[in-house]
Amino acid sequence: MKFDTIIIGGGLSGLVAGNYLVRHGQRCVIISSGQSALHFSSGSLDLLNFLPDGTAVSHPSTSVAQLVAQAPAHPYAKLGVVKFNELTAKAERLMEEWGIQLEGSALKNHYRVTPMGTLKPTWLTLKEYAVAESENSLPWKKVAIFNVAGFLDFYTQFVVDEFRKWGTECESHLIHLPALENLRKNPSEMRSVNIARLFDQTENLDLLALDLQREAGDVEVILLPAVLGITQTGTLKYLCQKTGKEIRVLPTLPPSVPGIRTQQRLRKCFQDQGGVYMLGDTVLRAEKEQDRVVRLYSYNHGDIPFVAENVILASGSYFSQGLVAAPDRVYEPIFDLDVDFVAHRNQWYDLNVFARQPYHGFGVKTTADFRGLYRGQMLKNVYVAGALLEGFNPIKEGCGGGVSVLTALYVAEQILSK
Amino acid sequence: MKQNDMTKPFDVIVIGGGATGAGTARDCARRGIRVLLIERFDISTGATGRNHGLLHSGARYAVTDQESAEECIKENMILRRIASHCVEETDGLFLSLPEDDIQYQAKFVEACLRAGIRAEVIDPKEALRLEPSANPAIIGAVRVPDGAVDPFRLTTSNVIDARNHGAEILTYHEVTELLREQDRIIGVKVLDHKTKEVKNYYANVVVNAGGIWGHNIAKLAGITVNMLPAKGALLIFGHRVNNIVLNRCRKPADADILVPGDTISLIGTTSSKVPFEEIDHMLVTPEEVDLLLREGEKLAPILAQTRILRAYAGVRPLVAADDDPSGRNVSRGIVLLDHAQRDGLQGFVTITGGKLMTYRLMAEWTTDLICKKLNITAECSTATEKLPGSREDREEVRKKIISMPLAPRNSSIARHGDLAEKLSGNTSLENSLVCECEEVSVGEVKYALNELDVNNLVDLRRRTRVGMGTCQGELCACRAAGLMSSMHKYCTRRAKEDLASFLNERWKGMAPIAWGDTLRESEYTNWIYEGVCGLGADLLRHESEKLESGN
Repeated sequence: MKFDTIIIGGGLSGLVAGNYLVRHGQRCVIISSGQSALHFSSGSLDLLNFLPDGTAVSHPSTSVAQLVAQAPAHPYAKLGVVKFNELTAKAERLMEEWGIQLEGSALKNHYRVTPMGTLKPTWLTLKEYAVAESENSLPWKKVAIFNVAGFLDFYTQFVVDEFRKWGTECESHLIHLPALENLRKNPSEMRSVNIARLFDQTENLDLLALDLQREAGDVEVILLPAVLGITQTGTLKYLCQKTGKEIRVLPTLPPSVPGIRTQQRLRKCFQDQGGVYMLGDTVLRAEKEQDRVVRLYSYNHGDIPFVAENVILASGSYFSQGLVAAPDRVYEPIFDLDVDFVAHRNQWYDLNVFARQPYHGFGVKTTADFRGLYRGQMLKNVYVAGALLEGFNPIKEGCGGGVSVLTALYVAEQILSK
Repeated sequence: MKQNDMTKPFDVIVIGGGATGAGTARDCARRGIRVLLIERFDISTGATGRNHGLLHSGARYAVTDQESAEECIKENMILRRIASHCVEETDGLFLSLPEDDIQYQAKFVEACLRAGIRAEVIDPKEALRLEPSANPAIIGAVRVPDGAVDPFRLTTSNVIDARNHGAEILTYHEVTELLREQDRIIGVKVLDHKTKEVKNYYANVVVNAGGIWGHNIAKLAGITVNMLPAKGALLIFGHRVNNIVLNRCRKPADADILVPGDTISLIGTTSSKVPFEEIDHMLVTPEEVDLLLREGEKLAPILAQTRILRAYAGVRPLVAADDDPSGRNVSRGIVLLDHAQRDGLQGFVTITGGKLMTYRLMAEWTTDLICKKLNITAECSTATEKLPGSREDREEVRKKIISMPLAPRNSSIARHGDLAEKLSGNTSLENSLVCECEEVSVGEVKYALNELDVNNLVDLRRRTRVGMGTCQGELCACRAAGLMSSMHKYCTRRAKEDLASFLNERWKGMAPIAWGDTLRESEYTNWIYEGVCGLGADLLRHESEKLESGN
């Protein structure tokens, strides 16, 4: 099987790179082993919330210069300030083009509402979610928050109590619908995706609209858990029209319905432009000739090789098994690319679960243009993008989404400019 | 801080909510003695909740300590009867590996039989058929009546029975002083960690059943009990590797017991002396993990490819003989000290040493001594009267809660025995699962919150196994915190703090073995709780603050 570019990994990074390349006429395949971080997305992409030294960031496009000075191995430092700003603008435009409706800008962080009712800075948020411009106030004085009766992955009181601290009047309500009672017959069915499937049916959505109208009263906004629109788009819009109210959603515990929808949207966009998406396959090994990878072999395709000019490795971090931790080392399982990690396992962790965990910062070493290194030597046609890169802490710096998107665009540009 | 004198009189105050303390409270209550049990944290937080959960047949001690072996087999048979819902009758195998001396086997069998322990030499091939996970290289095998016992259930059940017979139980109450009148202990001063109140309770006899912490309790009376804290580390594997307990047929050594329990298997233990300053902060070192794995793989080679869920360590209260200040001559036997005789201090008794297996016997001896002091003649009934949960046939219980879906029904019967009947009124909302790994329903969580003295998520875990499964509390922790808050156990601020400290507590046990899938799981948990939910270190209060608020 011959392609211009093989992309390993069907998460945010792989899909962004794939969409960009097919749009510019390349023949691409994405090989995805299954779920990605989008499946438990908050609905937002973070770009830069904190510098490595802990300083809070409100204007990523200007603060990135300080980051470059503090952390030279950081993916953003490899991009440099100019490229960083060019790519964030490009990403904002492209996502819109690909049908992902986002709000926000790299010039200034906005704030999303967490499932705990607190505000957290972020870059881009799916338009259906509740957001605030400032970290010190909410944009509403009076809200109604609804939950599906018995849905345990969302707890309204967390939000209600926090909102009251901001001086926002907040009442919580429960949704009871006959269709939901059926779900309950199986005790593990009351999960976001199953609920979303129910609300994808218009008759249930109409009943929900009636419920919301009746209960909400005179509020500026109705808040719901993000359980709308798994196979359908426009579910929330329909509900807003029906009720005549502004309605926003809040993130739930996984799985993330809007995250899955985003993943599906990006995948469809890629496939509509001729991209090949292989779901449920895993790249097992690679054959090299000198400093190039020439063939890849996968689990499903046995001895039929994948052949391409370039390879993008966007296989994610530990969770997605782009990085694998053994008791004595951390390695990259497909190409055995060089990985930056601390030798002694005792130093991988902090015993405070909320402290900076050194293992989050381990990752694949690359050249300044994100080509992977194998025993210190550059592999000329293997580009690395996203969560498995070295030099950043996605949680402490709040930069995971940004690293995934920007490095994907960057390596795609590099490939096209060859 | 207020100080209150509790005028309600008790005959006995038991300090320590482990198996021994709970068993003593039960025994006292059943004999009509007015008893108060005081525990500084939750029940089963010390060594009771930090061991193998092995229902010893006594075979392990047969060669080296006949007395302990005899006590074990007797208690083993009693527990099978009175605590059937806490016990799994798995049997055990003592395996000889090529590196072991096969001559030891004959000596071992002879010693077992002498102690009254059934010990049957079986063909290695037969042993492998019975337990396919056992090392195929074995050259000998002996089958003995070992089993598995759930110490959390056992202790909870003792507490329930004690309370049903009039005992009072105070958890999160710490004894800060022993009240003394001349040469007599007349009561205790306690700090209520939840309300910060200081109260005095009075009784004729105060029992020190504090395990290794009993050392410090005795000190409050100016008495030295020569205890030695011995740390034992264990690893929990992510699924049930073996169905029969596996031991090594040699002199007891490190990491030579693999015990199945519920959905998991446990390998342990190491043994090392630790200073008293460390007993509240047991951490498992990488060296201990390596040793446990190295030795464990000899029993069951599959352990090399099995996911490890967590590592933990307990502290055994070893007691040096009174005439041996060097502490070398330690015993694992039961030590009952009547301080009136030993130290001239009336009204104070220490029960220590022993092991989980002999908790009931320790309680019986203690209660016998109390009766003697109080001139009470009531007989002990704890060896014959079944514990709550073990009184009714499982099939009958199953019929009573037939409306519950099959998997959670079976799990809740396994956890609560006939007490699972309390879930018969579950609505469909209450049948929803909080914890998918362990099949814990909303109804079961509510039962635990309402009736089993649950103050926080860690307490809830001990009663129901929420968060004990392969995901180590990934989503169930948040669901359970929400439920607890919605049932007004605490406000949302406390719910979040509790969630944060629960996650931190889980991580503490995962960090020593965080590679492979365990690290994947941890990374995911970080993303969800710190990333998506925005929980942070600000919610983790200082240890001492947590202690004071009952967490």
